[in-house]
Amino acid sequence: MNFALVDWIIVAAYLVGSLTVGILGRRYVGNVSHFLVAGRELGLYAGIATLAATEIGTITFMYYAEFGYKAGFAAFAAAAISGLVMIVVGRTGLIIGRFRELKLMTVPEYFEVKYSRGLRVVTGCLVALGGILNMGIFLRVEGQFLTIVSGINARHLVAVMTVILMLELIYTVLGGMVSVVITDFIQYVLLSIATILVTIYAVYHAGWGNIIDKVATVMGPAGFDPLINPRLGLTFLVWQVLLWFAIHTCWQTTAMRIFSTKSPEISKKVMTWTGFIFLGRGMMPMLWGIAALTLFGTGAIGSDGSPAAMVNGRALQPLEAMPAMLAQILGPGVRGIVVAGMLAATMSVNSSYLLGWSSIISQDILLPLRRAAGKGPLSSKGQIFLNRVANVFVSLFVMFWGLYYQLPGAVYLYLNITATIFLAGAFVCVIGGLYWKRANVTGGYAAMLMGAAGAIIPYFFLHWNENVTGFAAFGLAALGLIFGSLAGGKNIAAAQAH
Amino acid sequence: MRGTMYLWQIFWTAAVLIAGLAFAFVTVVVTLKGGRDLREMFARLLEQKKRQDD
Repeated sequence: MNFALVDWIIVAAYLVGSLTVGILGRRYVGNVSHFLVAGRELGLYAGIATLAATEIGTITFMYYAEFGYKAGFAAFAAAAISGLVMIVVGRTGLIIGRFRELKLMTVPEYFEVKYSRGLRVVTGCLVALGGILNMGIFLRVEGQFLTIVSGINARHLVAVMTVILMLELIYTVLGGMVSVVITDFIQYVLLSIATILVTIYAVYHAGWGNIIDKVATVMGPAGFDPLINPRLGLTFLVWQVLLWFAIHTCWQTTAMRIFSTKSPEISKKVMTWTGFIFLGRGMMPMLWGIAALTLFGTGAIGSDGSPAAMVNGRALQPLEAMPAMLAQILGPGVRGIVVAGMLAATMSVNSSYLLGWSSIISQDILLPLRRAAGKGPLSSKGQIFLNRVANVFVSLFVMFWGLYYQLPGAVYLYLNITATIFLAGAFVCVIGGLYWKRANVTGGYAAMLMGAAGAIIPYFFLHWNENVTGFAAFGLAALGLIFGSLAGGKNIAAAQAH
Repeated sequence: MRGTMYLWQIFWTAAVLIAGLAFAFVTVVVTLKGGRDLREMFARLLEQKKRQDD
């Protein structure tokens, strides 16, 4: 066991405090708008905190550290793209300004406004599928992190996963977005302190000169130049630009923060300032991975071309190298603060994702189907109840998937591909709906289905390279929208909206 | 080749420094000003809830 008594006390105090504050959020929830978009009363600073906390989790630290361990400094290009694209979206208001003006609660809701109810349901199904598969590996990876750093026996991984899930489920189900925003604020502060602390410790222990030398020795120029790195290259970089434009505008958990802000102007500022956080969100954990490579990357070269991390005579996978390094370099007390910070990161992401994907199931699949069946509108209380049931369903699926699914490659790329399942089509449809008059329902269906097929078939069945798969999905979705719209005639909903 | 690698090293060193400082700066500002935002949000939510109950 790596944890001292003081570490356990810090972690327990954080968990109790976070749960209590989260449950208090329930008193502010009066209707479904409060539950899903915090009554659209989110200000700039709380908005930055909740958006950043939603997209910074232990899973983020783990996959970026693994990416840094495997690709060296060249991986920083992916982090730079994520932050810079976010700043561009914030400054220009691309999509998000219009989304906020429309007072939406979910991204697929836009598809009913611009296209048709049927396309909203299809999009809802794809968004839920991609989103839940994406979240499906969170618990396992987070559980791995916590067991390695704290020294809990790996046999207790399932118990650790269950406890994390139950805690975040309790306050998300009770207080919805209000509870999530409150806890996100606390969690953001804690995870930021942990991020900065770990970065200082990692660089101090590995030494900046040693870090540079190790990458140069193991990877040569490819460890620095993203264009010649075999894991990246031009195709990867272009795909990342497309993907991050799509994520920052159409990713449900990000979009929910935009929908929750007080005004379109505040939504743009939230996006711009969070973009600066995103630069560090990627580069700092990548640096931890490179530091782990420097300190422990002395084992035999694996099938992926990276040396195994040797810790206490054991050969570890690149994914496990960073948490193993933290267990070695952090002292008592600091380890507790860092783990509490990582737990904060975990809970903020998972609670937001639970709320995001369950809102899609209830608002974009079940409620439209209910209306199509000729039933009257569901009361606000009924909608909140439906959301809570969907929350529990998503939690159970995530637990199941995390236990039984074996990752075929790097975590970062798995997450990118599962996101692409719906993002390729959704991004193309939203761009088309907002900026191209001829975009219509036929084109919308073709874009969503071809984009999803372009991600699922090559990755899960043909086992193609992730870069080509991601690129193909966006290309197919664009072709689907263009040719489908040209072949499909005029769309009444789109014509009215224009 | 070695010269290009050196330039990339300088570039990424500067990039990670800027990213780290920006991260820390935004964190401090958000920590100091976020509490007021939350209090305002609570007050408005309670107002909305009260109007709805009336």
